[in-house]
Amino acid sequence: MEHLIATLLQPLLLFTDTPPPWEDPEIFLQQVVTGVSIGSIYAILGLAVVLIYRSTNTVNFAQGEMAMFTTFIAWSFMLRMDFWPAFFLTTLVAFFIGGALEVFVMRPVEHAPPLNSVVVTLGLFAIFSSVALWRYGPLPRPFETPAIFDGAPFTLGEITISRLNLGILGIALLIMLALFFLFNYTKLGLAMRATAQNPTASQLVGINTSRMLALGWGLSASVGAIAGMLTAASQALSVDMMVGILIFAFAGAVLGGLDSPGGAIIGGISVGIIKSLSATYISPQVDIIAAFVVIIAVLMVRPTGLFGKIAVRRV
Amino acid sequence: MKGLLRPRTLAWIALVLTLIFFPYFHTWTGFAWFLGNLQKYTGINLSVFEVTSFAVWVVILLGLNMLTGYSGQISLGHGALVAVGAYITAILLDRTGTPVAVAILAGGIGASIVGFGIGIPALRLSGPYLAIATLALIVSLPQLLKLSDIVNIAKYTGGASGLDLPTMHAPEAVDGVMDDRQWLYYSTMVPAVIMTVLAWNIIRSRIGRAFIAIRDSEIGAQQMGVNVARYKTLAFGLSSLYAGIGGGLFVYTQDFVSPESFGTFQSITLLVAIVIGGLASILGSILAAAFFVFQAGVISELADNLPAVDRLRWAIYGTVLILVMIFLPGGASGFVQRIGRLKKSDLAANVRSPLAALRAHPIIQKVTGASSGAPEDGPGTGA
Repeated sequence: MEHLIATLLQPLLLFTDTPPPWEDPEIFLQQVVTGVSIGSIYAILGLAVVLIYRSTNTVNFAQGEMAMFTTFIAWSFMLRMDFWPAFFLTTLVAFFIGGALEVFVMRPVEHAPPLNSVVVTLGLFAIFSSVALWRYGPLPRPFETPAIFDGAPFTLGEITISRLNLGILGIALLIMLALFFLFNYTKLGLAMRATAQNPTASQLVGINTSRMLALGWGLSASVGAIAGMLTAASQALSVDMMVGILIFAFAGAVLGGLDSPGGAIIGGISVGIIKSLSATYISPQVDIIAAFVVIIAVLMVRPTGLFGKIAVRRV
Repeated sequence: MKGLLRPRTLAWIALVLTLIFFPYFHTWTGFAWFLGNLQKYTGINLSVFEVTSFAVWVVILLGLNMLTGYSGQISLGHGALVAVGAYITAILLDRTGTPVAVAILAGGIGASIVGFGIGIPALRLSGPYLAIATLALIVSLPQLLKLSDIVNIAKYTGGASGLDLPTMHAPEAVDGVMDDRQWLYYSTMVPAVIMTVLAWNIIRSRIGRAFIAIRDSEIGAQQMGVNVARYKTLAFGLSSLYAGIGGGLFVYTQDFVSPESFGTFQSITLLVAIVIGGLASILGSILAAAFFVFQAGVISELADNLPAVDRLRWAIYGTVLILVMIFLPGGASGFVQRIGRLKKSDLAANVRSPLAALRAHPIIQKVTGASSGAPEDGPGTGA
């Protein structure tokens, strides 16, 4: 078996000096750990994308910029208070921003062709990024890392992972669990799912569907804000920090299936791992290409992602 | 003969005549004065060069509209197909003595082969999945163009610095009749007009009707005997042909191409442009190209007059997108068609329609209480 894998992978390894995984498993494991760390941010933002897709069937291109903008709000809170109060306050503020966007901007295009709402989210993208640039300037700013994530990284042999990255992964899993609980075990979650699936029927059984849509946007903005704050904590806070991340968050969400929160986590983390492994073992010049080749290959086999539901429509 | 006098026909004839004589109008002081003031007050720069570049984007956006507007397949990565055409043309011009026209045609054919290749796997995808998969094309494009270690692609594409071609000159045959700029205008405008007429005819043929049928209902189209798979890939191929030829013309007019010429953001704005211009409409594609090329100038002009606006350019762009989508859901061409269909007496009513759309906004309705016949629950309405 091992021999077979070695023969199959050999041609890919011609362009790098890195020893192949079967000779030096520690490099391999370290790269996987790095990939998981990059991927957990994609996973959280991907969760936000999935939340909006599930509740309104729209892909929100402004997700990353909304996250960036709310992180700047968090930054101004942090001038006055500690990390955690600011963190929760920002999540709350983001919830209301998201809800307001749905009510004031998305609702008028609710019944228009689907591309119209995509263009509206692209408009929001432009507005958020421009206003942030105008208000906060182009220079990156340091962003506070909470105390429990400081300190020496964990090590196991030669493999290391920083406390912050472990924390991000943990938060991603926590959010996923919370959403899973919300959607599967509460009446509210059931109402949200019903609204997404069949708005007319939901209205007939007495669900306030407009409120459910606004709630979906609000929750998604909150999750996005968490992704933004964690990104800023691990790099620095800047206006363009989420643009690249959003594309891979999309990629991860699509890989996992746009309507599956668990899929967004697994998809996002997989994208991170693929990027990190292909940069090490093939060439740093092809990490993005490799990630997308894998995603498209998966979509060929499962057109709605790994865990996405295949939409069956009655004609 | 009576048909010639219809306002619609007259408008098209006037447009064609303007396009034909446009570079010479510039030498006429009255027109130059008009254009100068137009630029001064609105920021729309109608120089010969800008209009040439407008023609290039008309070709590209016609192709995208054929794919997204008519056949209903979303492509966010159309810039990648434009890049394929542009790079094939540039490499042919750079390394061989291919005549320009042949090089541009080769770019178009090369891009359409790539497009067919993408169209086949795209058959399995739809909606947002197709959108993200096509987005993958444009996102990976810079890495592909700069690739040097696995396969040496950068040797041909010039890597990050791109390909710089010598400036195109007018052939000696037209010496004295037109200068380089005018020559560039005609040699771009003629293919653009041909491609537009071709698109017009394709849309009104069996192929175009098949595209529309597939967009409206795949199963329905299949029932009527349309080979869905064939026509969906054909839509990709045809629209890539347009993208490739547009890319070739882009290189021809700019004398330069680099990975930065075709960014992710630009590729997404192509889709934005056709939605703003109007989906599934030839006029919409033309208006989309006008929006795509001249929008920056108008916003800059606004920024020059209002200093606060300067750093908020993109916010203005975004606001325009949102407002157009809310008040003119059919895009600019939808609005034009709506006005065209109206009788004179209805015209005044329709001009007020943006206001009506505002009144129909759920929030406004809630505030004014003008919702459709819902009973008022306010105090004082009790029995």
